[in-house]
Amino acid sequence: MSTVKFLVVDDFSTMRRIVKNLLQELGYNDITEADDGNTALPLLQAGSFDVLITDWNMPGMPGIDLLKAVRADAKLAKLPVLMLTAEAKREQIVEAVQAGASGYVIKPFTAVTLKEKLDKMLAARAAA
Amino acid sequence: MSPVPPEPERFRAQVAALQLALDGGDAAAFRHAFDALSEQMDSGLLPELKRLTATAQSALARFSAEARLDSLAGHEVPDARKRLTHVVKLTDEAAHRTMDLVDGCVPLVDEAARGSALLLETWDSYGDRDLAIASLWPERAAMFLERTRSDSEALRANLSELLMAQGYQDITGQIIRSVISLVDELERVLGKLVAIADGHEVTSVVRALPSQQDWQRGLGPQVAGLESADAVAGQDDIDALLSQMAAGK
Repeated sequence: MSTVKFLVVDDFSTMRRIVKNLLQELGYNDITEADDGNTALPLLQAGSFDVLITDWNMPGMPGIDLLKAVRADAKLAKLPVLMLTAEAKREQIVEAVQAGASGYVIKPFTAVTLKEKLDKMLAARAAA
Repeated sequence: MSPVPPEPERFRAQVAALQLALDGGDAAAFRHAFDALSEQMDSGLLPELKRLTATAQSALARFSAEARLDSLAGHEVPDARKRLTHVVKLTDEAAHRTMDLVDGCVPLVDEAARGSALLLETWDSYGDRDLAIASLWPERAAMFLERTRSDSEALRANLSELLMAQGYQDITGQIIRSVISLVDELERVLGKLVAIADGHEVTSVVRALPSQQDWQRGLGPQVAGLESADAVAGQDDIDALLSQMAAGK
């Protein structure tokens, strides 16, 4: 079984549970949760996470700022980051990709979409 | 002859002292009298200036508050109504989806219970196990297991879907939050207007807040009837945009 370490960041606990359950269904059991960028960043810096899944719209530090902080940190610069958000503005999607997002999934999403994007990100990570 | 207006009359003493010092060539006395005169003038002007400033400030505050109220009443409150209507729709859909999935699970579980009860009953009815094994029982048991296996897969799929259906809470939560911040602002603007109407001094003009807090920046979830022209239609649009960007690199 795969031992990929996930950090799931969302201010809504319902959404964190949904993502956690889906990841477990996909066979990933090492999942940590955080409710915004401020709590997530120290966890990322301290732990050896393999994938970050983050919402955009959160009080405290929003997901886009977390993404930028991750990319600015030499240790985390290569971490695969999946944005999972209800933000549908083109401009924002472009901003996220330019800031270094590895994938962008729009809410509401399906289990199939999440799996597809994760597989793609993990394959790219393995190839790198 | 018309009566001397009281205002110039107030300065008679200072002007006389000034004239006296000027005639006498007394520089110190002149300076003293001059200061006294200018103080006298200021004391009349200052309250007037203050009053004017307060009027202008309160007019500005009222104007700013009224302009904001206009925009709130004209656009944001009707938008909020659409947002809340959308929340009702999403919660309704999620509740029905959940109940449909539960409805879909019930016959599967019923069938498993019925089939296993029947098999057990038949098994128990054979006094001799060899007789049971020689009968049609093993075949029926195999059919039951096969069916239970596929029904369990269907159950598992329904459970996953039940989980996904709860995603409405995140979406509706974000929409409701944006309406709460609108209500907060409405309360502030109305409070300011009431304060102005009551004649309280208003020291600051109403801030023209954006309808969303800074950290939200974006649009939040798309709401039927309020879709932004700059928004993607769905995941396919995003995937297209991403591969377009990747190709452009």
